[in-house]
Amino acid sequence: MEKVLIIGGGGGGLILANHLPRKDFDVTVIDKDEYHYYQPWFLYVAFQGSRRKIWKPIASLLKPGIRFVKDEISEINLDERKVYGTRKTTYDYDKIIIATGTSPDPDSIPGLREIYNEYGDYHSNVQNSLKLWEHIKNFKGGTVALGQAGPVCKCPPSLLEGAFQLEEYLKKKNLKDKTKIKFFTPFPRAYPAEQMNKVVEPMVEERGIEVMTFFDVDTIDTKNKVISSIEGDSINYDLPIIVPPCKGTKIRIVPEKVKNPDRFIITDKKTMRIEGYDNAFAIGDVNTVPTSKTGVTAHLEAQVVSNLLQGVYDEFTGRINCPFDTAYGKATFVIADYENPVVPYPPTRIKHIMKMSMARIYWMTLKGQADPIFDYYFDFTNPKKLNEKYATEA
Amino acid sequence: MTEATIIDSRGSACPGPITDLARAYRNSKVGDLLELWATDKGVQADTAAWAKKTGNEILEVKVDPDKIVVKIKINKR
Ligand SMILES: Cc1cc2nc3c(=O)[nH]c(=O)nc-3n(C[C@H](O)[C@H](O)[C@H](O)COP(=O)(O)OP(=O)(O)OC[C@H]3O[C@@H](n4cnc5c(N)ncnc54)[C@H](O)[C@@H]3O)c2cc1C
Repeated sequence: MEKVLIIGGGGGGLILANHLPRKDFDVTVIDKDEYHYYQPWFLYVAFQGSRRKIWKPIASLLKPGIRFVKDEISEINLDERKVYGTRKTTYDYDKIIIATGTSPDPDSIPGLREIYNEYGDYHSNVQNSLKLWEHIKNFKGGTVALGQAGPVCKCPPSLLEGAFQLEEYLKKKNLKDKTKIKFFTPFPRAYPAEQMNKVVEPMVEERGIEVMTFFDVDTIDTKNKVISSIEGDSINYDLPIIVPPCKGTKIRIVPEKVKNPDRFIITDKKTMRIEGYDNAFAIGDVNTVPTSKTGVTAHLEAQVVSNLLQGVYDEFTGRINCPFDTAYGKATFVIADYENPVVPYPPTRIKHIMKMSMARIYWMTLKGQADPIFDYYFDFTNPKKLNEKYATEA
Repeated sequence: MTEATIIDSRGSACPGPITDLARAYRNSKVGDLLELWATDKGVQADTAAWAKKTGNEILEVKVDPDKIVVKIKINKR
């Protein structure tokens, strides 16, 4: 039996573990946390004060026969096939999959740690999202500066989603007239992919959200409440809502060259193999695959690796499918793959219902129980087909 | 002559090549040469706007059958 070690019990790690037939594989999942969190809901915790229970024990999300070990991995030696945990525990393997997601890095920007500790954010964890909700709830007006502090982030739509959620909330609370929302982004426009920007830009304008483009945060002066960019601009704020830069893993990996300067693991974009190793893969947010960092890609990459491990030829198409809540009960999806550009897909109520139902179907997805629905959906929303319909209309 | 750092963004539709360029810019210093490889057609206009805003220089744009190559010199950081 092949010994498979999966580091990280997030979306990618769990889906892979649950897809490997137990008769052929001896699977162990290691995570530093006992619980798995449904991260997309952080948005509603932070901007609506949602108290939904969005976590479950990792062990309960694995099919019978899969081992779960709670341990924080500190080193992976790909040449010796050894993995080291905190209490000097050692694990060995035939195949390894690194699925440790991203880590927020508030210390790489002067002043950001202070903001992170005081105001929280809506990308890191539940506690931080609740902290941010406390500030939003008590906000009485002024300038809100909202944006990402570095170019790499999970779920690109989530930035504008935050601005849209905030605007809807302020409107309901009659605080709109007393508030300025300044949305900053290191990119040339509000949404980085141009085709989707065309769809959402009119909403950004209509809702009075001011966009500051090419704004890559350099320093934050917390005493005078000013954010400055590498490009030389600045914003004065009353309430900062800042998503910290996203980095890869802190695990020491031998050889070190498999990590890029931001600690992401250099991975083949079709097979998820770590460069130079046939028996080592990286899936989900931790790899350098040129797609957005989303649960859907982690899911599809996990399925590819599951097939490859079983000797079935497969490759990742680069498919992305990010739900984008445009507020006021509507949503859209950012859909593309390696061959086809983003579809200018208009927001509708149905898509919002789909995004909301995902929070319920999610737990089934992790076990592979929703595969038939997804297979149908992915085919139905194939980016080539959708572009034929929508790209010409736009 | 400094060797160019290659930023391979081929296939990236979203968030797209400009994300990779912004990340490389963060990790760069004055005098560095960057070579951005992309398939996304928007890359030419985006890098031109980026260079104008950041005060950096586009040395060359080459359109190959399989990719667009944008050569950039970092003059300001
Ligand atoms: C606000 C927000 C909204 C989002 N919306 C969407 C959406 O609508 N749709 C979508 O598809 N995606 C969305 N995402 C993105 C999605 O949540 C992530 O892309 C997805 O969780 C990535 O899965 P992963 O398995 O790669 O990593 P993660 O789910 O982050 O899991 C990584 C796991 O590794 C563990 N780990 C880390 N380091 C170690 C270590 N040293 N030792 C042991 N274990 C370790 C962690 O504890 C964690 O359990 C959103 C994200 C945010 C923040």
